[in-house]
Amino acid sequence: MARAATTSDVFNAIAEPQRREILALLRAGERPVTELARELGMTQPGASKHLRVLREVGLVRDRRAGKQRLYALDARGLRPVHEWTGGFAQFWNASFDRLDEYVQDLKHTRQE
Amino acid sequence: MAATAGDTPAQSPTADREIVISRVIGAPRELVFEAFTDVRHLSRWWGPEGFTTTTRAFEFRVGGVWDFVMHGPDGTDYQEWITWTEIAPPERIALLHGESRGDPDAFESVLTFQLDGAATRIEMRTVFPTRELRDEAVEKYHAIEGGTQTLDNLAAYVTEVLRSGEQR
Repeated sequence: MARAATTSDVFNAIAEPQRREILALLRAGERPVTELARELGMTQPGASKHLRVLREVGLVRDRRAGKQRLYALDARGLRPVHEWTGGFAQFWNASFDRLDEYVQDLKHTRQE
Repeated sequence: MAATAGDTPAQSPTADREIVISRVIGAPRELVFEAFTDVRHLSRWWGPEGFTTTTRAFEFRVGGVWDFVMHGPDGTDYQEWITWTEIAPPERIALLHGESRGDPDAFESVLTFQLDGAATRIEMRTVFPTRELRDEAVEKYHAIEGGTQTLDNLAAYVTEVLRSGEQR
């Protein structure tokens, strides 16, 4: 499978540290781009570019409030990450860790 | 991370209600397969570290049943009921996994064991009856693991963010 474009793949989107910092800031509530840029020491166009990527993968949504545009976390976009890091898959990955160890023991016992 | 996401074929017709996990085990295929065939083996590795099982019945054959209780590290018990629908040594095992006989929410897992040099690649493809049941299973297993250390900081963070997002 070809590598997914940054704008369509949530894993790629959150691989970039500054975008993770933006998400962490947005956990506290919605913010305008000017504040995000200032707090993270970015230029405003730089922050806007990151926000656009985050919006396109469904991690951030925006709304107009007067003259400002406010950005908020849309955690539904994190569902693929949630599924990948935990739950059913994590349960089985941990089980397969134990299976691997157990089978190694079995292999050595049989060889003796 | 992107490479891991790419491991899953995107075009499966059941893609939105399945979970595929694959793993290479450094041992001969016959031996890896054998670890799935006997409760003596299964009870040694089933579940993450800290989980144990108590088996009520076990018969490894097509149509046979493994009826057991899984004990979580925090003391919680989970009723488990498995029946095998296909057994083809040493290549393939298909099973239905629920909480009890006739469980309408039971889901099917197909395990394949492929040669990978001297090692064995296990692929476990689990197909849930509906997308909603898949999401429920993900949540349920998150809860099962809640008391274990296997849940890393990222997962904890993501869970928290998901919850705060869904409450809005």
